[in-house]
Amino acid sequence: MGEKVLLQNRRRDRPATLDEYRDSGGYQALATVLKGVEPRELIQMVLDSGLRGRGGAGFPAGRKWSFLRQEAPHPRYIIPNTDEMEPGTFKDRVLVGCDPHQIIEGTILAGYANQAERAVIFIRPSYELEAKVFEREFSLLREEGLLGENILGSKFDFEITLHRSAGRYICGEASAQVKAIQGERPRPDKEGHMTESGLWGQPTIVNNVETLACVPHIVRNGGEWFKNLAATPEGAGTKLYGVSGMVERPDCYELPIGTPLREIIFEHAGGMKAGRRFKACLTGGASTKLLPEKHLDVRMDFEALAKIGHRLGTAAVVVFDENACLVSACLNLLTFFTRESCGWCTPCREGLPYMRHLLRSIELGEADEDCIPRLKEMTEMMDHSYCAFAPGAAAPVKGLLEYFEDEVREHLVRGCCPYKGV
Amino acid sequence: MPSLVIDNRSVEVPKGTKVISAAEKLGIYIPRFCFHEALGAVGACRMCAVMFLDGPVKGLKMSCMTEAKDGMVISTDHPDAMRFRSWVIECLMLNHPHDCPVCDEGGQCLLQDMTVSGGHGIRRYGGPKRTYRDQDLGPLVGHEMNRCIHCWRCRRFYQDYAGYRDLGAMQIGSRTYFGRQKDGRLQSPFAGNLIDLCPTGVYTDKPSRYEGRRWDYQRSDSVCPHCSLGCATMLNVRYRQVIRLEARPEPAVNGHFICDRGRYGFGFANHPERPRKARIDGSEADLQTALQEAATRLGEVSAEYGAGAVAALGSCRMGLEAQVAMARLCHERGWSAPRFYLEPDLALRVHAAARSLEPELALSQTELQKADFILAVGVDPLAEAPMLALAMRQAVRSGATVALIDPRPLELPFPSRRLAVECGLFDVALPWLVRQAFGAKKRRKLDEIYPRLLTVAGGEGLEKKGLRELKKMARLLAKSQRPALVCGTDMVPQGLPGGAADLVRLLREQGKDAGVFFVLPGANAMGAAMAAPEETAGGDLLEAMERGEVRALLAVESDPLFGFYDRARLERALEGLKLLVVLDHLPSVTAAKAHLLLPVTNLYEAPGISLVNHEGRLQRASAIQEPGTPLDQYGGGGHPPRVFSESTPGGDLLPADVQLEELAGLLSNTNAETPRLNAWEWLAQRQPGAAEAVSNGAPVYGERLLPIQVGQAALVEQPVASPVAVGKLELLVGSWFASAEELSSYRPIPAGPEDEPALWLHSETASRLGLETGGPVRLVLEGGELPLTLRTSDEMNRRTALLTPGKGASWQMLPGRRTLLDESAIQRADRGES
Repeated sequence: MGEKVLLQNRRRDRPATLDEYRDSGGYQALATVLKGVEPRELIQMVLDSGLRGRGGAGFPAGRKWSFLRQEAPHPRYIIPNTDEMEPGTFKDRVLVGCDPHQIIEGTILAGYANQAERAVIFIRPSYELEAKVFEREFSLLREEGLLGENILGSKFDFEITLHRSAGRYICGEASAQVKAIQGERPRPDKEGHMTESGLWGQPTIVNNVETLACVPHIVRNGGEWFKNLAATPEGAGTKLYGVSGMVERPDCYELPIGTPLREIIFEHAGGMKAGRRFKACLTGGASTKLLPEKHLDVRMDFEALAKIGHRLGTAAVVVFDENACLVSACLNLLTFFTRESCGWCTPCREGLPYMRHLLRSIELGEADEDCIPRLKEMTEMMDHSYCAFAPGAAAPVKGLLEYFEDEVREHLVRGCCPYKGV
Repeated sequence: MPSLVIDNRSVEVPKGTKVISAAEKLGIYIPRFCFHEALGAVGACRMCAVMFLDGPVKGLKMSCMTEAKDGMVISTDHPDAMRFRSWVIECLMLNHPHDCPVCDEGGQCLLQDMTVSGGHGIRRYGGPKRTYRDQDLGPLVGHEMNRCIHCWRCRRFYQDYAGYRDLGAMQIGSRTYFGRQKDGRLQSPFAGNLIDLCPTGVYTDKPSRYEGRRWDYQRSDSVCPHCSLGCATMLNVRYRQVIRLEARPEPAVNGHFICDRGRYGFGFANHPERPRKARIDGSEADLQTALQEAATRLGEVSAEYGAGAVAALGSCRMGLEAQVAMARLCHERGWSAPRFYLEPDLALRVHAAARSLEPELALSQTELQKADFILAVGVDPLAEAPMLALAMRQAVRSGATVALIDPRPLELPFPSRRLAVECGLFDVALPWLVRQAFGAKKRRKLDEIYPRLLTVAGGEGLEKKGLRELKKMARLLAKSQRPALVCGTDMVPQGLPGGAADLVRLLREQGKDAGVFFVLPGANAMGAAMAAPEETAGGDLLEAMERGEVRALLAVESDPLFGFYDRARLERALEGLKLLVVLDHLPSVTAAKAHLLLPVTNLYEAPGISLVNHEGRLQRASAIQEPGTPLDQYGGGGHPPRVFSESTPGGDLLPADVQLEELAGLLSNTNAETPRLNAWEWLAQRQPGAAEAVSNGAPVYGERLLPIQVGQAALVEQPVASPVAVGKLELLVGSWFASAEELSSYRPIPAGPEDEPALWLHSETASRLGLETGGPVRLVLEGGELPLTLRTSDEMNRRTALLTPGKGASWQMLPGRRTLLDESAIQRADRGES
């Protein structure tokens, strides 16, 4: 197993304390930067490190930061996105729970790089424990001069506040998140750019917390070191892989980005549960395509997965065994997405219930042949929705129809689910 | 100017144009639900997908979200686009009830059109339909949520465009619900637009339910008669009854919307007591006999007391044709000067506004929306001209600041800066502010050219706090490029309208693209000024009646008793007349007192009327229905009509101008064959602005008839500060439009809570006088006492009391439009007493 970076202070009973974090080199990066690194140099460091966003889309973090114009107005905001509502995904919770300070340090560094005044951590309501951890550490940091005015004696002032979400999946999307913080109805908004007009109409950067947690390490050890952490020359850094489902040891694993999927499931997660056979898995949470056994050797990185028509997403691997009915699994996921659609655009609001209806009739064996091409047509139409929600919601079904059409057809032929009672 | 190709035709459009609008320029209508010209593009419905074949964007994209760029090649009927759009309709129809045959929207439903034309005919979805609970949104707007296709237009209009919060979106996903937290009357005075905007039958016109289908109606372009803005409306008539009005898109005036007063104020036209038969001393007669009788009796008075003893009083709700005919009759017969206002001071202010409205100064509603700073003085937009508030809000949404100088508690759907000085200080506050907007050096120069500004340099009568606020407003004015001055004519000092226009001219000389927006006392106030520019020379009509100088009054579409502040005095004067002839279509109080009553047609009946709005624009309210009693009033509700006769029941009416012309003919007793100028030619001879718009004896509609020549009248040249003295209160009466604009006061729709009679005071004034908000008070006047409910506001002037009379006329016992009261005139009443 490669070097542990993000989870180096992980212990099973409690989060690492400020002192423990400091002992492992914590807040050195911040001190170095505040002593004489220009914001532009910091952004360059992150650009050079090749760090890509860990929230799902994989957008280069340094480039996102460089979009914020130097002469853009103040105040500016950083929003560390801790809304992890993607089914099957739990890496951010582990990250906050084991070492909250590296997120905080990363956030302050992002604030410095973008010359922002304030960060608003947007946190999922079911992460109340983690929210309390954050709040406790904030007050400690203020006492230590690491947060507030003149951080570490420098001229840099920065505040972090915590916003507890009311809890809706769509709030994870950056522009919807901004609306949610403003007390408005959360929905994705493609008009304008966050870096020009985000929270309260001010320049805003929304980053996933895992992305931010990487920043102090990049500053301390350099971009080259960060790149070398990856399993492949094109990747950069380590990645938190959350493995769940029918495996022996479901957990969150920090591994070099680009580790083959087979290695993640069959070595690190201990392989399938005794007596079970691998059938399919999701690669990056519920809004990614079902992946069949023939692709198990794919390297778990953005590019490699994209090449075979899949997505890394949140790198949450959900494993299904041969006894799982994939129609039923997709129906389950689609029920979630149907409920969580914000209702803004037609394909998502009306199309998802339509798909759910078709899947349900397949699962019940009540559908006819015609529903397979219809379902296929729907998954294609979903690509023309307002935001990425609908194509994501349709992704598992896309995989189902691409690789497991026989299983779908079996439902139709038998007139019932072939896995019922297995 | 990007140039692109849509369906093999090239088009060039301004930068920033969306593809959907570029296509419209070519006459290609791309299907849409959420896109609306006034509400903009939001990309929600996905109905406007087209195929981008070549250029900077490729593939299936939404035409409302994509900006037109050079080199784009677009196909709107590409098979992929058609297939996708058909699928979108299928999705929208999943839950839509198949109730078109009984739906009020049937026949004028965008969803129906799109479903039929979009190619989705066979239902494939076999699941259950979603159902919602409908809400009672009050007497005007019906609600049927099951029909909703979630285009978001209602929420976007109601909250974003109009600025009201009580209707919006609730829940998420396919359960998304558009409505209110609780059942209840919609609070926005623009709520009726939801009906026009909704692409299907969720919001429908409640008063016209079950009255007919779109294709049953006689429809014609009309103009709203309920305030001076003259918004464009679409008239729907069936069986001689006005059924409903819709907004008519008119980019030069109101854009796409109208206010609810304009939409639902038409009840006067169908009023069961409307005079439909001429009356001579209370007995019915046919119209020709009555006209003959009128001519005879008018001639008698003229012969006995001299021609000057006959006076005519028109109004600003009548058409320009009738205004001209009336003025002409007065001239030709040598009668007293034609008048359109009972209050000469009001006429003076309106004339000052008309005179000063040069073509380059006038602003329309849509032009006002583009202002970057709006200063409004002495105007209550929602009461006097509701659409003005909507236009101001659009300016605010684009970044403008609105500053208000007014003593009243103004409730507006946008944030604003306020200076609540008493009316008597407008004349000082406004020029002081404008002067302050210039640097010290320029100021000295200005003082030389405009001594008027110098006289207010000290800010006489204004408190320090007020001057500070004015300074802030002045800074905003100084920064602005396109400032607009909105000026009322209701309770402002005499010199203000003219002074306001002068200040706008001054700002224009300083390089600002400034304009003025007058709010006038009626739909055709400008027309009245054009027809009778010499009105103000005639003196006070009421006094002339009281002195016995005027013995006969011809009231044309005018009910002076409506809204006059001293009703008893006016009644005495009317009773003292030898002859009262009334031409009207309203069952008015004055009409009931007439010796001779000549019923006339209204603007909804052929041939319609012409109106000149506040910016001097000539507009035509055309009508195609012949006058007559609505079928359901004489046919016992029978349908179809089973009563046969040679003439239309209740149709023995003629337009006021035709009757006045006949009177003129009868009175002139010459059978001269010499061709008489028609009304337009007569007007063109007297008004330079009208001359340009009239060719071959007919006017060109839609043009501004500026400038308007109005006779010079003595105006207050030097502004005088007249603050209200300590211990006194200035009593204002809620704008004559507030809850009872004359025409809409005849509508049958139940009054809202705002129609309850109330007295408004500043909360500090109220507590100083020991009065309780919401409690009963007595207003003790010379003519009697008024029981009222006390309302308070923190934003109004401390020395002003505002009486909002609501429905009913008992308040008409004041000595003037603005009255100084002792504070002791407002007394606490015991509960239960009122």
